[in-house]
Amino acid sequence: MSSTSTHAEVTAADTAGRWPVLLLLASGLGWLVISGIFALIASIQLHSPTFMSACEWFTHGRVGALAETAFVYGWAANAGLGIALWVLGRLGGSTLRAQNWAMVGTLFWNLGMTLGLGGIATGEATSFAFLELPRYVQPLLVVAYIAIGISGILAWSGRRTEGTYASHWYAVAALFLFPWLLIAAQTMLLWSPVRGVLQPIIDGWYVQSVFSLWLAPLALAGAYYVVPKITGQGLPSYEFAPLAFWTLLFVGTMTGGRHLIGGPVPAWIPTLANAACWMVLFHFIVVALNLRGALTGGGTSLAFISFGLLAYLAGALLDAATSFRGVAVVTQFTYFTTAQQQLALYGGISMLLLGSIYFAVPRLTGRPWTSGAFVRGHRVLAMVGISILVGSLAVAGWIQGTELSNAKTTFGEIAARTRPWLLAVSVAQGFLLVGNMLILANFLRSVSGVWCAGAVSQVEAFRQPTTMEVHAS
Amino acid sequence: MSTPLHQDPRLDQAASTDESLLAAHDKLLGKQPDEKGRYKLPPLHLLFFFSGLIFFAGTYLNRYSGMFDPRVYNENTLPPSGETVVAKLDPLVLGKKQYEAICITCHQASGLGLPGAFPPLAGSEWVAGSDDRLIRLVAYGMTGPMTVKGVLYNGAQMPTIGKVANSQYNLSDDKVAAVLTYIRHEWGNTGAPITTDQVAAVRSKEGDRKPYIEAELLKLN
Amino acid sequence: MMKNGFFFFIGLLAAFLLGWGGIPLLAHKQIGALAPFYDDGESSSFPTRPPGVAARGQLVYADLGCVACHTQQVRRPDFGSDKARGWGDRQSVARDYIFQGRPQLGDVRIGPDLANWGVRKPPVDAGGIAQFLYSGVVSGAKAVTHPPFPFLFDDRPIVGEVAADALVALVDKTPRRQIVPTERARTLIAYLQSLNNAYEYPEARHVVPVVAKEGAHK
Repeated sequence: MSSTSTHAEVTAADTAGRWPVLLLLASGLGWLVISGIFALIASIQLHSPTFMSACEWFTHGRVGALAETAFVYGWAANAGLGIALWVLGRLGGSTLRAQNWAMVGTLFWNLGMTLGLGGIATGEATSFAFLELPRYVQPLLVVAYIAIGISGILAWSGRRTEGTYASHWYAVAALFLFPWLLIAAQTMLLWSPVRGVLQPIIDGWYVQSVFSLWLAPLALAGAYYVVPKITGQGLPSYEFAPLAFWTLLFVGTMTGGRHLIGGPVPAWIPTLANAACWMVLFHFIVVALNLRGALTGGGTSLAFISFGLLAYLAGALLDAATSFRGVAVVTQFTYFTTAQQQLALYGGISMLLLGSIYFAVPRLTGRPWTSGAFVRGHRVLAMVGISILVGSLAVAGWIQGTELSNAKTTFGEIAARTRPWLLAVSVAQGFLLVGNMLILANFLRSVSGVWCAGAVSQVEAFRQPTTMEVHAS
Repeated sequence: MSTPLHQDPRLDQAASTDESLLAAHDKLLGKQPDEKGRYKLPPLHLLFFFSGLIFFAGTYLNRYSGMFDPRVYNENTLPPSGETVVAKLDPLVLGKKQYEAICITCHQASGLGLPGAFPPLAGSEWVAGSDDRLIRLVAYGMTGPMTVKGVLYNGAQMPTIGKVANSQYNLSDDKVAAVLTYIRHEWGNTGAPITTDQVAAVRSKEGDRKPYIEAELLKLN
Repeated sequence: MMKNGFFFFIGLLAAFLLGWGGIPLLAHKQIGALAPFYDDGESSSFPTRPPGVAARGQLVYADLGCVACHTQQVRRPDFGSDKARGWGDRQSVARDYIFQGRPQLGDVRIGPDLANWGVRKPPVDAGGIAQFLYSGVVSGAKAVTHPPFPFLFDDRPIVGEVAADALVALVDKTPRRQIVPTERARTLIAYLQSLNNAYEYPEARHVVPVVAKEGAHK
């Protein structure tokens, strides 16, 4: 890092290494909008089953798989990798290396996604949750991912400082672990399928691992960097951060079996998952304690991050609460579990990533976001949308669960009773879609400004950051 | 620029530099930069909380895991201890199943058979009579005319049921015993149950032979 | 430990291996080689292999994504209303799925559980299922409660006789047309009718928990 960059906010490293990250973020935001369209169609079909039913490509099962895949492997993967590369580059203190690898990797990843989504629509989905992409696309994803990850690993190994920071751990863990997860799941489910009920067991492990070992670390890498950067204060409970990190990694994957309570699996699998749900609470509490500065800070990034942090913590508490079998007997197999998943993925991971994106993009483009109205609009729509989405799904799920326990209630009656809440869910999906379109439009305008006007950064818009003071507890 | 910090939604300002962020947090972990250092002891209250969670998780695991046995599907139970003994099915249940699979087409569900064609089992002296006779009749089958309850039947042949040569059904000994026990118990019949050993003894004594005729059976006790 | 790159990677690998070994591999070791259960009384082993038509029907079920709304796992009688709803007399166990190419366990019940659809009382015949899949209306109901699948059916002219499994045959109109299930619909219906988990395995027998006496030691 040159001597002047200790005082300038936008560094030479940012301007020289911007394109891989911008490409990843652009892809991510694009997939977020596409996923939102599919999710809206799926949610409409819940209360109006005849919506788009004549078209085989949009039958409910397929459009749900399309929405989920576009969300996880389109939005969360691209945005998460973009943020991880950016954070590693910044903390590493030099320009990102292997940029061409990252860009080519991103292009092939998105090409694979497009092919894969087409495959799902035409009926070649694998029917495994979070692994719906057809078999012929899966190896392409592994290779493309490794190409992107090389850039990040090089940024970490070539760092100027000896020490590492929490963002380093989380980002490197995510980059390193995902190919292992994907290859293990692909082998045991697709290439050499295991027998019988082991398939759902392994799929459950994979879904949980994608969350705990990949998406959550990517989101936390960004949040751990942005929060102290904006508040200017050291994290309050940072001494526990290493222990929280290892707890997430070691214990987090074990919680996948909680969806199999009462299922055709040996009882130790859901029991182990329930025990792990409680143990992993330590990680969430420590992360919340560390990042609580975001709750009192102002501005767009911290608003998104604090919402994401609260949702992330609430998701874990809800998981622990529903692990009790007395509660699970009502909430299992209902919209309530969907609500939990949306809370963790949309409320937690996505909002944390969006907060990091709102902070990162001005520094990558060298100018503020183009439209303040769009920023405000997205913020309101996202927060209101997610709150309505999760709340309505939870209430609908609870109604559904209690009605299901009564053997006399027919499914038609249950559908009628949950219908108003499902309409609210569709409205919420609409809000989220509009909000995501706002940020996509805003992003494209900012980037096109860079493209057309060249790499002239308006450094004068950025304040000069000062040295951080340490408040040791 | 006079805009206050964080008032412009289009840009969030950073308050600290990257190097100071890294250095500050290294210090928080009790290390000097670029020095392999010792770690400070973290505050104890969170560690107590973590220990509490681990204890809860461990207790839960101990209580509900069924000792990690794959045969346990109900978390409230323990794995079956000792050897798994194949539960012997109630001979009446087994016999009824065999009857309904094989015998019912001729002898009917009522055990009354078909007059002129198939003899009845209800109240039949052949059923109530000698065990040896009954076992042989069923296991090896019968040809030719026979008199049951004073009525002559000269139509169909009683098929070979047991596990012997030319058998159409090859029922194992315990199934033969079960179905005989069943017909001795049903439709108002009374009679001692037939055991598997009895059937096995008959089969080893007689070996393979052709189906009986009435005269041969009547010679037995 | 966090500074030393080598140990950090060892730690990451250990975390992955513990998770992977702990659940997938351990479960695989325990139930990966489950064999069918031979019942001497029935002189047959269970579960029975599904017929080829039904196995192809499972692929249709999977590609349409039916698992998004339907489960195929019955919970034990004292855990939910599964038995009371007639979905099954006992809990589903691992052995029920060993011959299924891709078990569709499911995790949401927007529609009923289908694990024992083939042995439901009263039984549903193929024509009834076909009608339901075409229109999405439960027989006897008015509203559409299930996504209709018109693409699983052919609307074609009547040549010669009306097809035996035609849903609707317009014989008096010109041109004469009929709606017939396609091959995919037929295999899907065969699959649904083959779903049968009724056999009672030893491990599936319902256990009534006994309240332990004070001081009892197991």
